[in-house]
Amino acid sequence: MSQDHRPEPVRPRGPGPKKALLLAAAGLAVFAAAVALYAAVGCDLNDPDRDVKRLFPESTGYKTLYVSIAKRGGEDLLRKIEARLGDAFKGLFETADVPYTMYEIHKGADVIGYIHGTNQKGTYGGLQVFLALDPDGVIRGFYFQKLTSRAAKAFRALAFGEQFRGLSLEDFYRYDVVTGQEDPPGPISRIKNPDPGSEADFRAALRATKKNLILVDEFLLGNAHIKFFKG
Amino acid sequence: MFDGSGLDRVVRTIGESRRRGGCPRPERGTRPNKLAIAVLLFGVLGPGGLLAQGTLFFLELQAVGAYSTAAKKIELFSLMPDDVMQKPSLGFDLVQRFSGKTRDIGVLAVQARLAYDQEGEHKLEPQLYNAYFRLKTKSVNIWAGHNRPALGLSSVLDSHALLLPAPAMLGFGFDRDWGIGIDRDAAWGGIAASLTAGSGMPLRLHGNYLAAARAFKGVLAQDNYSVGLSVAHGRVYTAMGYEPVMAEPVDRTAASLDATYLWRNLENRVEVLFGREDDAGLALAFWRAGLALLKEGRLKLEAQPAVWRRAGAWDYALGSGLTYLFNADLAGRFMVFHDSQRRGARLVVQLYYYKGL
Repeated sequence: MSQDHRPEPVRPRGPGPKKALLLAAAGLAVFAAAVALYAAVGCDLNDPDRDVKRLFPESTGYKTLYVSIAKRGGEDLLRKIEARLGDAFKGLFETADVPYTMYEIHKGADVIGYIHGTNQKGTYGGLQVFLALDPDGVIRGFYFQKLTSRAAKAFRALAFGEQFRGLSLEDFYRYDVVTGQEDPPGPISRIKNPDPGSEADFRAALRATKKNLILVDEFLLGNAHIKFFKG
Repeated sequence: MFDGSGLDRVVRTIGESRRRGGCPRPERGTRPNKLAIAVLLFGVLGPGGLLAQGTLFFLELQAVGAYSTAAKKIELFSLMPDDVMQKPSLGFDLVQRFSGKTRDIGVLAVQARLAYDQEGEHKLEPQLYNAYFRLKTKSVNIWAGHNRPALGLSSVLDSHALLLPAPAMLGFGFDRDWGIGIDRDAAWGGIAASLTAGSGMPLRLHGNYLAAARAFKGVLAQDNYSVGLSVAHGRVYTAMGYEPVMAEPVDRTAASLDATYLWRNLENRVEVLFGREDDAGLALAFWRAGLALLKEGRLKLEAQPAVWRRAGAWDYALGSGLTYLFNADLAGRFMVFHDSQRRGARLVVQLYYYKGL
């Protein structure tokens, strides 16, 4: 530890008037530049290294990508996505400039899948549904990251997530997120709610899954599943 | 969504009383180069950065005003005039991710504000918060720059936008500090360590340092709980924002236990810290309780008692807060704060706008 505690000369506090003006101008310029910027936030994996390895044990690396509806297509795209979802985006978590963080999973030079999480309003605030998908958009893993629910334990159980394995957006297009019905009844109807008293959280999970699949289809899969959309 | 500032508020206990006692104004640290923030920003956001898919950019605007029942006047800062947070300000938050062909390499984070400093000689105060590069290796993450030291609740509590002061803002740790750090997440939680300057917002190098380490069990956003154990040792400056309270650094050793628990719409955060500072006992007991109400938790009520011992004296603070999210970008906050160092109460109002662009 140095014993050299030479006092520094006292500097004027804050910028001088000229520099202040310059700073103000810089601030405005930053603002102007920012308008043209691309950005996002989102539902990030808590620990990407661990989660990627768990969901894709064969992976050798991953890349984090940021996307947003506002940047990709604005209100027009938002309307199209709402149509595919069968419900309007609403609340704090669903606006055109809300941000999505998507993980592209690699094995060597090959893309072997994707991970994406979406926020969804639950009974006690937001919940986060993450999907691990193969390159064709088929679910190979489902789990809640954030979840506050009376039935949290049951929803987090492996058995609940296993019910989603093998499903894709093709299946979820037949599921109406507003009524909670699948027409005609199929694989989504067979997903069992582990706690009838937590129907709202169960439906929130299904809506989050469908939204998740639509967003991945839009941003990563080149709308490969839009041919199944009957809207 | 959001986070907090420095060792700055140490001063509320030591600083304010010593200044009243005629303690000469100590030396100042190196402020962030006033134009460096803008230059850095534009450097990062060159033509490549603007269009890259690895860029996050947020605009931050806040209006803050407080009524002090002791001073009987309205003041444009949340708690103390020399604190960096919260003041009326324009700022940005930038994250630039760097990736190779098949994997992420690292992240550059820059977060800065230009604040209105009502009591300052000059009215505009540049403030630099995040300014670090985080290198991602296969086993650990390594950061260098201005970031959070691995000590206590403040190392994980995002209070950059909040009115209620975190432990670091009460003087127990640093919200940001210059140095290096390393962290690794594990299935059970994670570990982190840092070696920083121990000078907080400004970089000062006069034999000062802070070595800190924290291990935690439980991932809050997944397990709804997290318990952390931290230890720290160093020779640190006690400072308020960019203004050090004491001319020379002091020895500090501390151990801290922190815990956060979420249950339905209730959340509780506590920290207990013990140690020694400048040959005197150091202690803190901190509790923040929150209740989220309305759809999507738009309304949040919080209460925060804290009691601490420093330089042979006990002090306490009581705060209560209300946050309402008008929409995804705009929040309104109100805080009533009282501490044993000041008479009366402060009624603080804040409008906070944070938008991704």
